[in-house]
Amino acid sequence: MPSRLSDTPPQRLSTSPLRAPVNVTWEITEACNLDCAHCLSAELRAERRGELDFEQCRALLDELARMQVFQVNFGGGEPFLRHDFLDILRYAHRLGITTCVSTNGTVLNDGLVDDLLAIGAEHPAAPVYLQVSLDGAKPETNDAIRGAGTFGRILRGVELLARRQYPDFSLNMVVTRLNAAEVGEFDRLARSYGAKTRLSRFRPSGGGCHTWDDYRLTREQLAELSAFLGDHTEILTGDSFFSLTPDSRRNLGLNMCGAAKMTCAVAPDGSVYPCAFLADPAFLSGNVIGESLWDIFKTSPIFKRFRDLEVASCKGCDRFSICHGGCPAVGYFLTESMGLPDPECLRAVEAGAGGREAAAPTKEGV
Amino acid sequence: MTDYLVPDHVRVRQEDFGLLFYDTRSTRLTFVRSGDRLVPPPFVGDHRTLRAAGAAPDAALSRVLTGLVEKGLLLALPAE
Repeated sequence: MPSRLSDTPPQRLSTSPLRAPVNVTWEITEACNLDCAHCLSAELRAERRGELDFEQCRALLDELARMQVFQVNFGGGEPFLRHDFLDILRYAHRLGITTCVSTNGTVLNDGLVDDLLAIGAEHPAAPVYLQVSLDGAKPETNDAIRGAGTFGRILRGVELLARRQYPDFSLNMVVTRLNAAEVGEFDRLARSYGAKTRLSRFRPSGGGCHTWDDYRLTREQLAELSAFLGDHTEILTGDSFFSLTPDSRRNLGLNMCGAAKMTCAVAPDGSVYPCAFLADPAFLSGNVIGESLWDIFKTSPIFKRFRDLEVASCKGCDRFSICHGGCPAVGYFLTESMGLPDPECLRAVEAGAGGREAAAPTKEGV
Repeated sequence: MTDYLVPDHVRVRQEDFGLLFYDTRSTRLTFVRSGDRLVPPPFVGDHRTLRAAGAAPDAALSRVLTGLVEKGLLLALPAE
């Protein structure tokens, strides 16, 4: 989520925790009809821990409204495969919560788009943003990651949204070594459908642990991506590239990790984590079944640890004020240690470290 | 004296430092260090008036309010 600071120096945010998250990522279902190579939720889905039922979902939304959470980002799995998802979505909007649904686009049809447009029309002050995942500008690139034939199936959903003039949708690409050369073409493709472009960071968490060595960006790609994002400030990044982006994006989003401060994540079974990229047993902070999410947010020792986390070795860096050491998830899943610098930060890339050619230890190698 | 309304597309909540605004149309956040000098309306509902706690806003607070109006996060209405 883009954020803009006003009247408050950026460093104040890290020292003054919010009373509640600004947004919550909620993996609403384990169900999915694709098997993407880098799926963030692959390990959680494989465990088949079950899902909250409708009444539990409604209770959680009631609590999110009491907490005054602004936005819920629904993911999965494929949210639209959950049979009662539209009822959950309607209830969220009835409570005044803005939503963003991350979908693989393959299950979109006229009836579903009718329903989504109706929710948006009924609640114009709280839009339903749609984010369609597509991992390349070319069929062969996307299909190598998301599965054979998916490029065409996804674009049929995108064409439907464009034809129906869906007001708020974006195409999202997780940038990997396979598709990094296509970011410009991807941006043009999104624009051709009237969609915004969103680029997300590939991290070694979830299924990304297993594909990290093959998919992580090279140093050259990291540098090129940094320059591209600097030249295209209109492109959305979900605040995931703050360790990499140049000064031109300084005021466009968060300048630090928002885990346990601005955001948190809820898994399909109600498990709570500081961030969707930290859905690991080491960071399990509670469960909304029988526990209050607000209490977890305020009192969890794991959440407190993230709020207090400082990457001391980065403090002398000239980019510290716009990076604060980068993404802790990347460092953790590569080294199983906290508080280490993000290995893909811009200064590391410029210095010849970071990126595929660097000899960073993998999780398996530690 | 001016009244300030929070538009339908804006959410605002109280934080320790002051007010946190969220524009649902852009999903942008705006942090306002106003302490407890501004009282937000309920998160949702028909009552949308933002009011100053205690005395009328001083010059500094008035500048903050004017800035929020310029950003479209508040609507300024002449008080009746």
